Amino acid sequence: MKYVNITINGAKISVPEGITVLDAALDYGICIPHLCHVRGLLPIGACRLCIVEVVKNGRSKVTASCTLDAQDGMVILAHTEKILKARKNIAEMLVARAPNSRAIQDIAVRCGVKNVRYPFQNKDCVLCGRCVRVCGELWRSKSLGFVGRGTERHVALPFNSRPEFCKKCNDCINLCPMTITPCPGPMKEGKEDFCALCEAQLSMEKDTPDTCIDCRLGEGFDCIRKSF
Amino acid sequence: MNPVTSVKNLQERASEKKKENQKYSKVITLCAGTGCCASGCLSVLTALRNELKQKGLAKKIKIRTTGCHGFCEQGPLMVIEPENIFYCHIKPEDVPEIVLASLEHDRIIEKLLYKDPISGKTFTHEPEIPFYKVQDRAVLGQNKLVDPCDINDYIANGGYSALIKVLTSMKADEVIEEVKKSGLRGRGGGGFPTGRKWEYCRNAEGKLKYVICNADEGDPGAYMDRSILEGNPHAVIEGMLIGAFAIGAEHGYVYVRKEYPLAVKHAKTAIQQAEGLGLLGKSILGTQFSFDIKIARGGGAFVCGESTALMASLEGKVGEPRPKDIHTTDKGFKELPTNLNNVETWANIPAIINNGASWFAKKGTAKSKGTKIFALTGQIKNTGLVEVPMGMTLREIIYDIGGGPSNGKKIKAVQTGGPSGGCLPEEMFDLPVDFEALAEAGSMVGSGGMVVMDESTCMVDVAKYFLNFLIDESCGKCAPCREGLSRMLEIINDITEGKGTEEKLKLLKETAETVSIASLCALGKTAPNPVLSTIKYFEKEYEVHVKEKRCPSGVCRELIHYYISDDRCTGCGVCLRACPHNAISGEKRKPHKIDKDKCQKCGICKEACKFEAVSIV
Repeated sequence: MKYVNITINGAKISVPEGITVLDAALDYGICIPHLCHVRGLLPIGACRLCIVEVVKNGRSKVTASCTLDAQDGMVILAHTEKILKARKNIAEMLVARAPNSRAIQDIAVRCGVKNVRYPFQNKDCVLCGRCVRVCGELWRSKSLGFVGRGTERHVALPFNSRPEFCKKCNDCINLCPMTITPCPGPMKEGKEDFCALCEAQLSMEKDTPDTCIDCRLGEGFDCIRKSF
Repeated sequence: MNPVTSVKNLQERASEKKKENQKYSKVITLCAGTGCCASGCLSVLTALRNELKQKGLAKKIKIRTTGCHGFCEQGPLMVIEPENIFYCHIKPEDVPEIVLASLEHDRIIEKLLYKDPISGKTFTHEPEIPFYKVQDRAVLGQNKLVDPCDINDYIANGGYSALIKVLTSMKADEVIEEVKKSGLRGRGGGGFPTGRKWEYCRNAEGKLKYVICNADEGDPGAYMDRSILEGNPHAVIEGMLIGAFAIGAEHGYVYVRKEYPLAVKHAKTAIQQAEGLGLLGKSILGTQFSFDIKIARGGGAFVCGESTALMASLEGKVGEPRPKDIHTTDKGFKELPTNLNNVETWANIPAIINNGASWFAKKGTAKSKGTKIFALTGQIKNTGLVEVPMGMTLREIIYDIGGGPSNGKKIKAVQTGGPSGGCLPEEMFDLPVDFEALAEAGSMVGSGGMVVMDESTCMVDVAKYFLNFLIDESCGKCAPCREGLSRMLEIINDITEGKGTEEKLKLLKETAETVSIASLCALGKTAPNPVLSTIKYFEKEYEVHVKEKRCPSGVCRELIHYYISDDRCTGCGVCLRACPHNAISGEKRKPHKIDKDKCQKCGICKEACKFEAVSIV
């Protein structure tokens, strides 16, 4: 196998050619928060949590690391002030959209969200597309798809009923960030309040954002710590 | 039509057509672009045809229906050649007089001439009119010369001569070098150097390559691409032929929105005629070069103007952008190297090849060369399409060509670049219009929309309008654009309804910055521009909305009140009768009053009052 050398947050690492920057970082224990990424499925770069800065000729460009192939000599900065601020803001928007998901809460806390400034929406989907992609790509079933555009976008079954070609693999549910046992805390409908008191935050070191904090994002979230 | 198999054939055809044109003593050029069609040029055309037939002049006088001339506000308009007499606002009733006076007796009809609203002078000839005088109409000017549905007309005007030059005397590398030297940059909004894009695509691996013409123009108020494709489709086809030759592509697509029926029709006719003549198809003009063009109609999604979304749509998939870490020149349509350019970019190519790169590079600024077409609209006297050399100042465009404010109010700002652009204040009107200068100021050249706004416009309301547009048009794939834009609208709605706070204003700014940094495609990355630029240049207006809960321009309904001045009100009772909500009371000949609780702020009383007694506070 051919290897390429890249630098992530100053750490020089050698990774197999063709791997994405996000996978490379996760393999080496550098935590870049992510949501829509699932190893083995084609990356779509939808959640934008895994954004990084790519430095080239002294100029930096912001792009999602899940869709970025590692190339020799690439310099990646995953936790600059600019990135952390934008990432935190995206996480804040996601948790405001679906505050009752433990997974989204954990991600938000992980990204440093302490309070949510947007009105809560109590939706039950964050449109990460994990279910749609596993259904279409891995199982070749296409029982799920995105319907509608913009604010009307949602995941739906064909004609809103389970089709015959659904293989009942349950992967859509396994991979859904909304199905991780929700927080029993203060998130009651109409009285939402983002407490940010989960253990994830307690163990988070502000100065070392790339340290793994064992955020218990469930099996679907591909992380080096999932074996623990 | 016999196919053209050699260069000589084509030249013969051109001289034949020229000879045929010389038989006519006069040519009436009638604009039949979408703008003039809307103001009734088709009934003028019928009247003109009937009149000429009746008088037996049909063989002496030629009517040429052309695409848009640009001065849409004055439509329907015609130019009588060879004298270049310009008539505007023509009605079918005027036709007999036109035929009699100007065509038979060479007399000029005063009432149909253009009267300049600033100086009050009338102008007889087209080039003298101030609107046209300052312009450099290298691309748009051709619209007037050709009938878009007649390929021979285009050939007679020197059409396809650039193709001949390329096929007979140039190598592909030389063509690319020429385009590179000209400094032409993408006219669709990105401003990427065209020659370099062609080179990337030529050097990309793979035998099968595509060229695409992006005619999915969707900015509110912009219609440059539409006018070119409607008025001069062969220029676009010739540009694509030359591009395909340089890149080594054999297939091309024109992706045009379905909402442009005339553009679709004319492009279709043009392609059929070019195929009929053998200018498209296998071994063109007897050379090894083959190229065909298909038309694909878009469903009208704004996001499909983005190159990757357009290609997804062409493939039959949902029109959603994908990350561009790998360029489309390497992996585009069907994962094959694809070169996509905007209509205006393609239309510029034949002239660059014919006149040379230095001719093109002479115009414009250091980094932005050539001319650019802008759709000048808004609260100014002359609206329409204008083509100016890059580097002209905004002030020149707005005041010299646009004629300044339309209703005596002071001009406050100009919105350039459509929904992805920004609003620039009057103080910055001396900025030259080029890609870098506008981008630095927080706006962009974009595809060329230019909306001029006067004092009666509320900048918060403008930002709200564009946000609403972008939320409708966002595909919803990536989180920052989908969530961020609707959150921004929530905050702006609060501000215009008097529920704004300083924290919310700060959050609006932060969200806007996140959306612009983190979004997947250019639509999302530029979507916060209207908000960010209005906050940057009109922060005071936001502050007045937030702190004083009032709208200085009197636009935001929740923040205004209608009020009748006691001094001016004569008690005539017109407003009382006009009010649909019974909110006005008062005795005859005594000052009236508006009941604030009942008032729905519709503004009917203000319009009804003849004494200007109703005002907004």
